[in-house]
Amino acid sequence: MATPQIILTSSDGVDVAVERTVAERSVLIKNMLEDLGDSGEAIPIPNVNEAVLRKVIEWCEHHKNDPPSTGEDEDNRRKTTDIEEWDQKFMQVDQEMLFEIILAANYLDIKALLDVGCKTVANMIKGKSPEEIRKTFNIQNDFTPEEEDQIRRENEWAEE
Amino acid sequence: MDQNTQLPSASKDFVELATEARKTPATSESHHFLPNDKTATSSESLAELAKQNVAPFLTKYHPRQYAPLSSEDGTPSIPRSVNAGYCYRHQPDSKCRRQADEQSMRQLQQELETLPQDDQQGIAHVWSLFSAAPAKQRKLMLQGILAQCCFPQLSFISASVRELIRIDFLTALPPELSFKILRYLDTASLCRVAQVSHRWRALADDDVVWHRMCEQHIRRKCNKCGWGLPLLDRKRLREAKREIELRATNWGNETVNQSSNTPGDGAPNGTCSVVTLPSSNKRKIEDEQSCHQIKRHCVSPAYKPVADDDYYKTRYRPWKDVYRDRFEVGMNWKHRRCSVKVFRGHTDSVMCLQFEDNILMTGSYDATIKIWDMETGQELRTLRGHTAGVRCLQFDDTKLITGGLDHSIRVWNWRTGECLSRYSGHTEAVIALHFDSTLLASASVDRTVKIWNFKDKSTFILPHPEGVNAVKIDTSSRTVLTACDDGAARLWDLDTKSCIRVFHNHIGAVQQVIPLPREIELESHLADCENDHISTASNNGDVPPNILSPILEAKSLAVQPSSFGSSFDQDQDRLEPPRYIITSGVDATIRLWETNTGRCLRTFFGHLEGIWALSADTLRIASGGMDRMVKIWDPRIPTCQDTYEGHSAAVNCIGLSDSRFITGGDDYHVRMYDFRA
Repeated sequence: MATPQIILTSSDGVDVAVERTVAERSVLIKNMLEDLGDSGEAIPIPNVNEAVLRKVIEWCEHHKNDPPSTGEDEDNRRKTTDIEEWDQKFMQVDQEMLFEIILAANYLDIKALLDVGCKTVANMIKGKSPEEIRKTFNIQNDFTPEEEDQIRRENEWAEE
Repeated sequence: MDQNTQLPSASKDFVELATEARKTPATSESHHFLPNDKTATSSESLAELAKQNVAPFLTKYHPRQYAPLSSEDGTPSIPRSVNAGYCYRHQPDSKCRRQADEQSMRQLQQELETLPQDDQQGIAHVWSLFSAAPAKQRKLMLQGILAQCCFPQLSFISASVRELIRIDFLTALPPELSFKILRYLDTASLCRVAQVSHRWRALADDDVVWHRMCEQHIRRKCNKCGWGLPLLDRKRLREAKREIELRATNWGNETVNQSSNTPGDGAPNGTCSVVTLPSSNKRKIEDEQSCHQIKRHCVSPAYKPVADDDYYKTRYRPWKDVYRDRFEVGMNWKHRRCSVKVFRGHTDSVMCLQFEDNILMTGSYDATIKIWDMETGQELRTLRGHTAGVRCLQFDDTKLITGGLDHSIRVWNWRTGECLSRYSGHTEAVIALHFDSTLLASASVDRTVKIWNFKDKSTFILPHPEGVNAVKIDTSSRTVLTACDDGAARLWDLDTKSCIRVFHNHIGAVQQVIPLPREIELESHLADCENDHISTASNNGDVPPNILSPILEAKSLAVQPSSFGSSFDQDQDRLEPPRYIITSGVDATIRLWETNTGRCLRTFFGHLEGIWALSADTLRIASGGMDRMVKIWDPRIPTCQDTYEGHSAAVNCIGLSDSRFITGGDDYHVRMYDFRA
């Protein structure tokens, strides 16, 4: 039997229906439902627009049967590149959407999604030279040539 | 037309080109200008159209700029909020707004200039309209344009868009999320991130990041990268943890400096909010000045010279520096970069040694113990008293205890050289000894291990079938490990004075047995371990192996009785024995055992002859033997990592620390391999 549905209202005013158990992947929503009871009224999500909200719900749907998130320590020990395949595909979005997903996961308090989002960004940084990083994220090099040279020497030790 | 000329400077999309073109120089900043006002006169009809359609549109959505008077009255249909007209990502105070790229602006301008005046005017109007439109209207406009596009045009858009959507994540995200991203990076990547820009450097060099790196890598193998760094005081790591957490939460606030310097000031730790509003004021608004402040406050406090206060200076060393030091030592191990120092002075085989800080002590078949200064290589003292070769020694701050072929155990004040007492409880040579707090264990050819209690002067004996070569006390579990000529290592319960476990797999005598540090983590590396050698356990041999939870946890869960016997269940303070031990033998192998099952998990092959010397820490195992070689092993990897040759005869003893190992040999020499930078 399907679990009861609840309605979420996105920042741009769109109502999205979602299974309660799916929505409860978000600790924020879970706590709200527990505190306020399920009145059947739409829950406003003022920081997340419809497109992002649907994307987040898609993730929650897929992960609705995951065990509750483990502690911080557990998380330390997993490899950065260890993003499961489905999540990797899920995260193949443009940088704006990725950015929004991270903010939404943080706001909605969905730790596992936040982890995946942050790992995705980390993987975009990994193995790149400073110039490649600047290019990837459109960053201005605001160092003077002297500064740049000095900082490069400061960090040389990490290059094998 | 003049109404067109003052679009809000806040919306910096390329559309500005069209409108800013006619801005007065006073209000414009750095943008290049499009064709001038002449366009208006040469395209009357278009201008007329603009007046009818464009102007009202602009007036409606930017009342401040286009109809100042009416906006003062406040039209009810228009929200009063300043930012109501903007897409929330384009709010003026939002840091992640896309910046206009001067070069592409210039190109756009040049391209526009090549068109006839009428076209220029028309395009300018389209851009103006879009620029003035609120999010919802913009979206509709875009949808309309997209609907008209053919595939080549869509392809153009798709390629352009990919290029355009590039976001400076670390700057745009709240600092705690930026740190979260950085925590997933490896050493080399973090150091490259520090070279990207001022902002990225401030984040990537921060203690928040490097404290975490130290925690993950120092003195343990990081499961993330399989890389471990040498020792660092774990207590220091733990102490700093809370202030670092606080720092991560408050990063960028003016108060950070204070709070990070006063750990334990009672600041609420639970406020580390997981639910943070990603609203724009949460994003950091930084002008040049505040950026400089951040740097001053967050990155460099550790560099701040604090006059005449050494304690302060060392305490606030940046964690990146700490990590760097350890990293360099680790790299030296990896690449075998070390200096070698030879200590000459003994006149017979060197059989035992120990070093702490700068003091090295060696015992020899020449019946003396020598104390050396490790830095200078100078011989500080020679202790004489044993009437035959010295086989074992151990020292701490106040005392040195030695055992030898003369069957005696001697206690010395090594600082004065005085022999304080002499014990003759064994009837044959004393081969090994180990003391910890109030207990001393000595192992002898006389087939016994004797336990001496300093406090109540009691002694008792653990009988063995043959001579005993090694002994190690573990105080927290009140157990002792022994290695015997009969080919077995044993684990004894000091409370019941009985043998709990026998580790029997070596062929021939077991020369050494040592526990691996409790904090070592091998679980994930032993999936491929040997399962076929179950040793003969003296009891409870059928207890299922508890692979996943470490022993300490298993005990606290207390679901199943201890596999080491009921006496471990009764005393809450009593830890279970170290989970892993290693042994070496005359069969030229090193074996890794799991104590709660008695299983041999792994056999390390590589030495050609018997292994007399064995030492280990959380990162590596060092062994030496009859074949004159020293081999370095990673307990997680079955193959030998490194081989060092140098002794011209058998290696009898080895000492290992985070940055050095020292060996003593049958060639009378002591060799120190130093991996410090």
